[in-house]
Parts: sequence; structure tokens; C-alpha cells
Amino acid sequence: MALSLHAALSILLCVLVAVVWAAAGGGEFWPMWVWFALAIPLAIHALAFDVRRRPPARAKALLVHAQVTGLIAAILIVIWALAGFGTFWPAWAFFGLALALGAHGIVVNRERLPQARERELVERVDELTRTRRGALDVQAAELRRIERDLHDGAQARLVALSMLMGRAEERLEDRPEVAALVRRAREEASAAIGELRDLARGIAPPVLADRGLKAAIESLAERSLIPVTVDVHLTRRPPPVVETSAYFVAAEGITNVAKHGGGAGARVAVDGDADRVVVEISDDGPGGADPVGSGLTGLKHRVEALDGELEIDTGPGGTTIRAVLPCGS
Amino acid sequence: MRVVIVEDNALLREGIVALLRERDVEVVAQAEDGDGLLRVISGHKPDLAIVDVRLPPSFTDEGLRAAIEARRRHPGLAVLILSQYVEPVYTAELLAEGQGGVGYLLKERVGDVRAFIDALERVAAGGTALDREVVAQLVDTRRGGAGGGALETLTPREREVLELMAEGRTNAAIARSMVVRPGAVEKHISNIFGKLDLPASDDDHRRVLAVLTFLQAGG
Repeated sequence: MALSLHAALSILLCVLVAVVWAAAGGGEFWPMWVWFALAIPLAIHALAFDVRRRPPARAKALLVHAQVTGLIAAILIVIWALAGFGTFWPAWAFFGLALALGAHGIVVNRERLPQARERELVERVDELTRTRRGALDVQAAELRRIERDLHDGAQARLVALSMLMGRAEERLEDRPEVAALVRRAREEASAAIGELRDLARGIAPPVLADRGLKAAIESLAERSLIPVTVDVHLTRRPPPVVETSAYFVAAEGITNVAKHGGGAGARVAVDGDADRVVVEISDDGPGGADPVGSGLTGLKHRVEALDGELEIDTGPGGTTIRAVLPCGS
Repeated sequence: MRVVIVEDNALLREGIVALLRERDVEVVAQAEDGDGLLRVISGHKPDLAIVDVRLPPSFTDEGLRAAIEARRRHPGLAVLILSQYVEPVYTAELLAEGQGGVGYLLKERVGDVRAFIDALERVAAGGTALDREVVAQLVDTRRGGAGGGALETLTPREREVLELMAEGRTNAAIARSMVVRPGAVEKHISNIFGKLDLPASDDDHRRVLAVLTFLQAGG
């Protein structure tokens, strides 16, 4: 508003001066000096207006510097022209102005370069975190698919085979030596089924996929050689990869207590929400868990692959293993 | 004996049906999922239902849940669960619900035809048949753990008898397995009943109660 008023007044004055010049009988066209004098404050006003309107940005100072330099250069050229051309003396001034602008530009960009690099690195880390998480999710889903394929495929066929051999055995009552061979073959099939079952359980126990973390840890407690109390609070079911890791942390933790806890019982507490799952296994045993032992090292790798943390706190009062597993997004 | 079979894998279902028919067991109906189980049981009133744990649509423990529901709706229904894995939690849930025979066997046990038919008959008659894997896991727990109450007072010999009872064996079979006289087994069993404080009623009922105590203790 102020700028347009300023512009209107300036134009009015210019016209007025020209009219006065004409009324005074012409001659040398002196009003151009007045015009020039009016144009300079108008240009400065316009520049200030423009600067105020721009949002603050890293390069704003440099931009303002460039605009001011441009304005000064324009003024010098006009003065040179009004003074009747001749030797192009503003070149020296231009040289100085360009030097100052160049120096300013270098300073600003030297500041900016490492920041750009940092931003690039942050983006790269974000991307890698996301893709690694994606890879782990895919892997967990793949392992569960393999477990199901084993169940419906090879295991089922071996079970069908052992049924057929059982029927054959029944019909060979009159040939006991052949029946004995068939029975041995059936026992081999059973052993193969047993091995496949152990393999599938190592991937992910069926009860974990069927019922989730609480039931799976309760089942671990059921099977354990020591008394285990289980306390699980989950506001929602964690992603499969987190669930499986939490399960193996609990399993290894309980095994550890059974091995080194001197007969003490174990407590397993699981607490989880949308962001993370915390698994804590503690005992009142004599302590002395070896943080670099193979079991705990394996756990640490498993937890760190998820960007989680595993803390082992061991002393005469007992041992606490605590894993924090982020659920990703 | 009239049985229904609920198994989604056609290969296994047909295998079991063929095997049972050869042994003159009447298969009155077959189904492939949990709803099918409830339907065929209402329709056919079988003596026994043979049920796979993992069934469609969820392919988790659908069969177990349907079997528990079927036992709730039809008290006294005998159920034999077949699975490719043993899960103590599932066994305990099955045993906790209702009366009537229950069994939980690994699928490959079907290949031992005689033992399988024995187990079917025991369960249909109201007894139990638990896979030795389930029993072994539960016994390990009890041995190492504190608690278990009255079970702690059993001698190792009595415990062994109880394990075999949990598998569903008869006294004669237990005697053969432990290489002792049947009279010795009876003596152990009466000691077990006494220590577990089970009232003197009919022996089969006390047997089931003893096994239930055994399976549900501690944990």
C-alpha cells in the first residue's frame, strides 16, 4: 500500500517537473536529474518491500546482497549515462561489488555444504533402517511360510507314508521278517517326521503363530525345568519379526536361568504397545551370566538387527536380561 | 465304533479312513473344518471324533477350539486330537473341558495301527490317550519344578506308573512295560489314589482324575 502510494506520488512529481520545464520554455532537459533522484528512493523502497515479503531462508541474506548490488550498479550506470557517457568508470565499482558478492556467496555455501551432506546421510540412514526392517519382516513371513509348507507338504507326506507302511505291516502277519523290515522303515519315517518337527519349532513354534506371545511364553514356562512366572501385557499383537525375537529372548533367558540360576525360579515380564515391546527375564540366582557367552551373544545380534537393545545386569543378587524391541512403523 | 474324521489334508484323511475301514471301524462322516466338525457331530452322533488341530480357515488351532466347543455342546463326546506337534497348553485345555474320553496323539502314531486302534477304543470308552511326547514334556516339568503338591510325595516307581496311566495304558500293559506283576501295578495305583486323595469310586473315574491332577499340577 505504502509502496504504491510512493510510486504514484513519484510519477506525479515527475510529470509536474516536466510540465514546469515545458512552461519555462524547455532548453536542456534538467528534469531527468529530478526523475533520477525520485527513482532511487522508490527503488530502495521496492527492494525493502520485497525483502520483507520473502520468508526467512538460509540464502536470504545473499539474495538481498545481490539485489542491493544490482541496484547500486544500476544507479552508477544511470549516472554514467546522464553525465554524457565517456570513459566507463563504473567498471571499477562493479569489480569491487562483484568481489564482495562473490565472497559472501562462498561463505554462505561453505556453511551450507556440510549441512546438505548431513541431510543426505540422515535420509540415507532412514532409508536403510526402513529397508532393513522390511527385509526382516519379509524374512519372518518367509520363515512362517516355510513352516507351513513343511507342515502341509513334506511332513504330511511322511505321515501318509507311515500310515501306508502301517497298513502293509498289518497284512504281513504271516511273513514276520518282512513285517519287521516294514516296521523299521516306518520308524525311520517317524524319526524324519520328528526331525522336521524340531526344525519347524526352531523357526517359530506353532503356538506362537496360533495364539501369540502370551500363550507361547506360557508354553515355555510349562515345559521349563524350573518354576517360571509369566506376566504379559500387550496392547496389540506385535509384528511377526518382533514377536519371534521376543519369544526367543524369553526362551534363551529361561534356559539361562535353568542352567546358571542354581535352581532359582525365573520371572518373565513382557510389556508392549504400538511402539515397542520390552521383555525382561529375571532371577534371584547367584548371578554370573556371561554376557559374551554364545547364547546371549546370539540374542544380542537378534535384538540389534531390529535396532533394539539388550541389557544384561548380573550380580550376587541375581540376573536380569532386558530387551527393548522397537516395533517400527 | 462309529467315528467322524475332521482333517483338511485329503491325503491324510483318506489314509486314516482306509486304515480304519480295514479294521472294521465305521467312519460315518468326514469334514474339513471346525464348522464341519460341529455339523457332523450334531448330524451323526458318533462315538468318537478324530480331529486335526490345524484347520481352515485360520490354519491355527481351529480344530482344537472346535473340539472343545463340540464337547461343551455334546457332553460325553469322545475326542481324539491328531496333530503334527505336541503342545502342553492345548492338551491341558482339552482335558480341562467337559467329561468323556480325550486323546492327543502325534499324527505319525497312526502308522502303528494296533496301538492307534487301542487308543481309539480307550478314548471312545471314556479313557485317555496322551502321546508319550506330551507326557514326557509334562513329566520333565514336574520333576524339575517346585510345587505339584501331592505329586511330590509319589515315589519314582509310582510316578512311572502314573506316566503310563496318562498315556492311557491298561494295568496289564503297564505291568508288561515295567516288567512287573499286574498285582504290583495295582498296588502302586492304589497308593497313587491314596496320596492324591482321590475318593474310592469306580476305578476308571479315579484313573482319569489322577491323570488330570498329574497334568494340571504346577506349570
